[in-house]
Amino acid sequence: MAEIILFYFLAAVTVLTAVGVVMNENPLMSALYLVLSMLGIAGLFFLLQAPFIGAVQIMVYAGAVMVLFVLVMMLIDINKDEEKFSGGNISALFKGLTVGVFAGLLTSIILRTPMSTKILVAQQATEVVDIARLLFTKYVLAFELLGIMLLVIPVGIVALTRIRGGTHER
Amino acid sequence: MGSDVFEITVNVVKMLLIFLLMVQLVPILVWVERRGSAFIQNRFGPNRVGPLGLTQLLADAVKFLFKEEFVPPSSHALLYYAAPVLALVPGAIAFGGIPLSMPIEIQPFDMFGSHWGPYTFKFQSYDLNIGILFILAISSLGAYALLLAGWGSNNKYSLFGALRASAQMVSYELAMGLSLVGLLMLYQTLNFSQMIELQKGPLHFYFFGRELVVPFLPNWGIFYQPLGFLLFATAAFAETNRLPFDLPEAEGELVAGYHTEYGGLKMLMFYIGEYGHMMVASAVMTTFYFGGYELPFHLSDSLTTAVRGAFTSYNMGNVMAAMALFLVFLLKVLFFLWVFIWVRWTLPRFRYDQLMDLGWKTMLPWALANVLITAFLILVGGGGVL
Amino acid sequence: MSASLMIGQEHYLIVSAILFCLGLTGILLRRNMIVMLMSIELMLNAVNLSFVTFSYFQQNLEGQVIVLFVMAIAAAEASIGLALAVMLFKKFKELNISFFEHLRG
Repeated sequence: MAEIILFYFLAAVTVLTAVGVVMNENPLMSALYLVLSMLGIAGLFFLLQAPFIGAVQIMVYAGAVMVLFVLVMMLIDINKDEEKFSGGNISALFKGLTVGVFAGLLTSIILRTPMSTKILVAQQATEVVDIARLLFTKYVLAFELLGIMLLVIPVGIVALTRIRGGTHER
Repeated sequence: MGSDVFEITVNVVKMLLIFLLMVQLVPILVWVERRGSAFIQNRFGPNRVGPLGLTQLLADAVKFLFKEEFVPPSSHALLYYAAPVLALVPGAIAFGGIPLSMPIEIQPFDMFGSHWGPYTFKFQSYDLNIGILFILAISSLGAYALLLAGWGSNNKYSLFGALRASAQMVSYELAMGLSLVGLLMLYQTLNFSQMIELQKGPLHFYFFGRELVVPFLPNWGIFYQPLGFLLFATAAFAETNRLPFDLPEAEGELVAGYHTEYGGLKMLMFYIGEYGHMMVASAVMTTFYFGGYELPFHLSDSLTTAVRGAFTSYNMGNVMAAMALFLVFLLKVLFFLWVFIWVRWTLPRFRYDQLMDLGWKTMLPWALANVLITAFLILVGGGGVL
Repeated sequence: MSASLMIGQEHYLIVSAILFCLGLTGILLRRNMIVMLMSIELMLNAVNLSFVTFSYFQQNLEGQVIVLFVMAIAAAEASIGLALAVMLFKKFKELNISFFEHLRG
């Protein structure tokens, strides 16, 4: 019973704040709505017995990535932005239609596919050790590549923001 | 269904009690901070109201409550009000996840005409298997309070303070997490209770297949990872924005940093948030490096048996034994809180570039080296440490 | 009382689909570069949710491993995107996407 209530609560929070992200005219408020949405998704992860992924979600997304977004938005004066939404009623209509058709497609796929589930009773929360074992055996190559990518990205960012004679020294 | 409701109620009550404990500790800490700073600087400090100035706390609380409630006219009201609450919440949630004492076992008993089954109450509001990860994640949300306070009050000094503070928090989180990794590899668990269980007895570990015992030292994490402890403590100072890392509120440059525009109860909530972060950091340090609620060697076992012997009822004895261990934990935490205060009034403030250099160019490489060396030793020396 | 029998796979997947479509709407409708980046994050989160859902209901941990990879790549993508946005703002004082339609400096 408690889990049903929790699911609907978290789903409502996630979806409503996601609407806030898209519809709010102030980019800063959008970012804060996105933080709430991500916390809601983390809650859903906890409900799905994946506490490790949930905690990483809070730490990486809510704690680091979104803080970065908010920081950048405070650094640059963004409030003088005039056109918040793309103009033109016709194009907006087509965009709305596209999204609507896509949503319908997704929903019908989800509802019409016979879903097999292997669980009959509520499961225990997954152990971190099991994820680690998989990560360091079957997916070890991908893991190493990820490490290389995470090394390349800071170097790239530093190179990007420190171009001599470029935008930095204007 | 019935047990479900019972469990939820118990957890909510525990959460409330731990939150109240946290809030109640704050005035005492403020008093210790003011008296302690006076002691360090050879002054008197507040000594007029009550014995030793102790009722100054009450006077301060009343003052905070009855100050005029105001909102700066150009501020963003929602964010302005949300920030102090957000400062309070992460610390409170994180503190609930740390075991404050041993679990209390209650045998079946009859009360109010009905039968109450055997219970085991954990002395923490929730027990997750990923304990430390969740606490790090939750306390990383504290950055939003500063950012929202800076943005919401629409004041350039607030904004500067908020940007500095959040950049500092994000930078030092990395070193903080990495400094714990070495110890986590040794413990092979993320759960606090299991860590405390591992730290019982005298210092003993396996090295190259031989069991080494150092009888005069307790089996505490600090003896395995002294460098890790140093890095974690330093990062904790930076995370809580305390001196010597209190650049966000440097008075000379930034009036009062992100809480320039706050007064009264909202200011008090920022205070509680700051002290709450300090308490969480101290509690994590205690649990990771100093054996949590256990006394060194097997003294806590003899303490609990002694306390249990003093009571005729088994349940009462259990409760009181848990309380005794809780006092041990509280003493350890208070010691670390005193270190926080002590350092604040002893060391001068860093410059901002020095702070960033320390975080990124000194602490991060050392933390990585610590992880590598620990991993190497575990691999070569044959895993079974502890 | 196992509530997982009542809240099935479909419930989570539909939440995930709604989030994905909202992210898509954000990409199509918004013009601020940073908000568009945030919409991408929303879509990635929706995909993560469906991965974890399948991982739970199929009792297969590989879904959670993939989610870890997605998170790392999303964080990297966000940091690169933000660095680019800051550089663009420094140069043009503008983050509206319609300003950059012609790709001329």
